[in-house]
This record gives sequence, C-alpha cells and structure tokens, in this order.
Amino acid sequence: MSDIIKVENLVEVYSDGTKAVDDISFSVQEGEFFGFLGPNGAGKSTTIKILTTLLRKTSGTVTVAGYDLEKQAADIRKIIGVQSQETTVDGDLTGRENIALQGHFHQMNGDEIKKRVNELLNLVGLEEAADRRGRNYSGGMKKRLDLATALVHKPKILFLDEPTTGLDPQSRAAIWTYLEKLNKEEGITIFLTTQYLEEADKLCKRLSIIDSGKIVASGSPIELKREIGADSIRISLESCQKDSPNAKDLIKTMTGVTEIIDSEECLTVYAKNAGLLIADIVRALDSSDIRIASVTFSSPSLDDVFMKHTGRRIRAEDFVKAPSTMGGRFGGRR
Amino acid sequence: MTLLSDTRYIFIRYLQKLVRTPILLFFSLFQPILFLVLFTQLLSRLSNFPGILPTGVSYLEFAAAGIVMQNAFGSALQSGNSIVADIDSGFLQKMLVTPLSRPAILLGRLSSDAFRVVIQTAIILVLAYALGAHVTTGVIGILLIFFTLAFFGLAWSGISLAIGMKTRSSETVFAIGGVITFPLLFLSPALFPISFLPTWVKDVSMFNPVSYCVTATRALMINGYIWSTILPAWGVIGLVALVTMSATLYQFRKVVS
Repeated sequence: MSDIIKVENLVEVYSDGTKAVDDISFSVQEGEFFGFLGPNGAGKSTTIKILTTLLRKTSGTVTVAGYDLEKQAADIRKIIGVQSQETTVDGDLTGRENIALQGHFHQMNGDEIKKRVNELLNLVGLEEAADRRGRNYSGGMKKRLDLATALVHKPKILFLDEPTTGLDPQSRAAIWTYLEKLNKEEGITIFLTTQYLEEADKLCKRLSIIDSGKIVASGSPIELKREIGADSIRISLESCQKDSPNAKDLIKTMTGVTEIIDSEECLTVYAKNAGLLIADIVRALDSSDIRIASVTFSSPSLDDVFMKHTGRRIRAEDFVKAPSTMGGRFGGRR
Repeated sequence: MTLLSDTRYIFIRYLQKLVRTPILLFFSLFQPILFLVLFTQLLSRLSNFPGILPTGVSYLEFAAAGIVMQNAFGSALQSGNSIVADIDSGFLQKMLVTPLSRPAILLGRLSSDAFRVVIQTAIILVLAYALGAHVTTGVIGILLIFFTLAFFGLAWSGISLAIGMKTRSSETVFAIGGVITFPLLFLSPALFPISFLPTWVKDVSMFNPVSYCVTATRALMINGYIWSTILPAWGVIGLVALVTMSATLYQFRKVVS
C-alpha cells in the first residue's frame, strides 16, 4: 500500500517563538486509520491545521495524496474532509441545509447534493432532526452533523481533530461506530487526533504519541503496549496459603514468565504474551489439584506507554465528566 | 463560473441567517423608524420659520434622506460582526478547507450587506411615503437612491469588516461603529439644512463623506436629478470604498493565509 500522507521534518514555529511542532516525520497509508495521541497543547491541532492547508508550515515537506502541500493546496482541498475541534454547525440553518451548503462549497450539483444529504443524514442518524435548526441540536447531534458535513464530497482522507472531546460516553460510542464503518466499508483514510487513550486504542490501527511538539513513539496500539513488556495475570486460589508455594513452583518454569509476586488476590504473574500463558497456567494448576477461584489478566495501557516515554500520564480534559475504562486495562484487548 | 456561484451560496447563507433572526432586523430598523416617526414630529414646525428649509418642503421630507442614510450606516457597520462570528465559531475555517473561492467569502458578505441596505431603505421609504414624504424623481430616482445607499453601505461595511478581522471582537466592532456613526451624522447636513448649521460644523462637514452622500440622496428625493451633486457623491463614496476595501482585503488575506 502507498503512503497517502507523507510528512518529513515538519516544523511549526509561531510568531511568538513557540515551537508548536518540532521536527516530526510520519506517514499514513491509504485506507489506514491513523491517530495522534497526546495531551492538550502537544501539537496535534497544529499538525492537522498544516495538513489541511489552514496553516503555513515553517519548514519541512508534506505531501497529501501525492500533492505538494505548498504548491497544490487547491487540489488537496478537493479530496479532504475536515472536522475541526470546535463544532462548526451554522445554528441558523437546518441540519439538511448545513450539509447541502458544504456540498455547494465543494461545487457539487444540486441533484448530487440532494442524494448525498439523505445518505449522510441516514448514516449519522439525523433523519428526524434534519429540518430543525442546528442551534436546537444537542452537543452529540451537532458533532454528528459536523461529521456529515465533512463527508459530503466523499473525501479520500478524513481529518478529525478530537472528534469526541466533550461528548458523553454514549455519543462518543456512536461517533466511533460511524468512523469504523467509514474506514472499513468506504475505505476512507482517517487521520484522527485524540487525548483519549481508549479512543486511540479502539480505533487506530497505527498511532503516534505526540508530546510537546515531538513524536515520542509510533506503532500499532498492540506494538506500543508490547514494548512496555510484561502483562500481568492475577490469580486467586481457593486456598491461597496452602497452595501458593506449589503454584509458584509450577508457574515459575513456564516460558515468558518474568516475575511472580504475592498480591492482594494471591498471586500476580508478570509475563510476556500472557494471553497465551493463561491456558497453560490453568492446565498446570488443575492437574496438580490446585483449585482456582479466578484468573484475570491485563495488558499495559497506552497510558503506560505515554508514561514510559514522557514520565507523565495523559490527562484528558473532561476525564471526570466522561469516564472511560482505561485503554485495555480490563479484559486485555490483544 | 465558480466565483459567481460560490458568492451566491454565501450570499444566500447570510440572508437566511438574517431572515431567521428577525429580532436583529427589527432592532436595526427600529432607530431609523423612530427618527422618521417621532423625531420629525419634534421639528415639524421648522417649516413655519422661513428660510431654514427649502420652500414647500416639510421637515419629514427633508429629514427622510438623512434617516435612510443613518440606516445604511448602521447596518453597514454591523457587517464586521458576522465575520467575527464566523471566525469564532470556526465556520470560516470550515469554508477555507474546501475549494470554495476565497474572494466569494467577502463578496457574498458584501452583497448581502448591500441587499439588506436596499430592503431596509425600501421599508423606510414606504413608511415615509405613508407619512407624506414623496420621492419626486419617481421609480428611476428610487433605484438611484438604492444604488447610492448600497454603494455607501459597502464602503462602510469595509471599515467594519476590517476592524472585525483585525480585532476578532464583536464588542469592538459595535463600540467603534457607535463611535463613528453619530459624529459623522451630526457633522453633516443629514438632519439639518447646511444653512442652519454653525460655521465650524459647515466647515467640518465639507470633509465628511456622509455630507456628499446625504446631499445627493436628498436631491433625488426633493429636487430632481441634480447631477452636479449626485456624481461627486458617487466619486467620494468610491474613494472611501477604495480605502476601506483595501484595508478589508489586507486583513482578509492575513486571516485566510
């Protein structure tokens, strides 16, 4: 597959001297769901503004769909869809009019627009609200409408700047569903920025972690988490005191196990590829008549990855308002 | 041509927004109508004193030109708020990431401003007619009045747009609008005949573009086609427009790039 976005040594220095983007390079493949994960002020929005022709870069080379950002900005605008961080719905216009207007901006003809507007209202589930004015929409509805307006011209690449920031968990889940559908079914390349670990983990096939204008790590969520090393398997036994020494002896010798410690539950085993190891552990304990009460395992989260590279944790702005299960901590997505 | 059709869509958008917030239209018409209905009553006996107003002209007829001018002024100076709103909401950016023609963004706004001035002027003229003020030059004269005021409105919209894009604050646009409007109106023959004004105001009014515009409008309303006042007025408006549009274009380029 070919690179649809190619960024080399991109630098953005603001007029006040702030280095918002500090020499980053990355590429996104056609059809890929790619993300930038980082805290507020990391340089995510700045990068998106540059890639979408809104902000002039200080230096570096960028090509989008083979077009040079500097010389062929007009060509790029025809094939990208952009949803900015602010929800940009015209409150005086109805949902239908908002989408249609965007179609006109893309110089589509009337019949084309009519058909497409209906498709999009259907996609984002706003058919019933279509003829109500935007100002009467809820936050989640506005975001969905905004997404629909960005899709009117069937863009090849969709840029989403924090598409779910400030939304309640339910609206967030709805947006995720549409995005996955667009990427899988229509093959749209998606470039997303987020400060939500769970969002990056769930949606992105590949991501870069960005902090203070620099990319600190890149890879698939799985690869990134694997770098952290050990998963943990927490085992509780029916009679912990009696059986734990035996259990430890049995597990110790298994391949991949790096450490066993006594813990709250009884035992915590640190290991690589814990998912594969669970079956072995259960089998071994069972055949030695050690009765297991429960086994849970968790893999490292993207927050652990961020922590490793920056020494800090990502704080999502409205984390309290919209609690999400921390990426992969429970149940171990692998 | 995409510039024309793009301009049309921006134009329609602003009109839709205007029509759907009738309260804004009401407030912007409220003041001129108040002047037309009440203020002219206060001074209605002015015509009893010979030599102040042209013979046979009521104060209402005299002041109508000043009032439509005041209206054009007022609505033109609100233009900047629309661009501030679009910058704040991110809608401008939303337009800029599409292939939409850049000049269309400005042209659409300006043409909707001009259209609005014409509609509001028409409403005021109809009301003035009902109260007894006629436009002597008839339909063509009315069209020329529309043209003069719309052109004047555009020239002043430029100031408001430039300030809006520079400061990105609608409060500033409002404040500066208020600060500019009244002194320029009072220092012109908009509401009183030039012969009635103190010498220093007369002198200052010579340098006030509003004076030329209001005199031309008044000529079309009560005297007839006096080209020697109408053409210079268009020239003055053109000069003002050149300056304000340059400022607007300069700011627009900074916002867009």
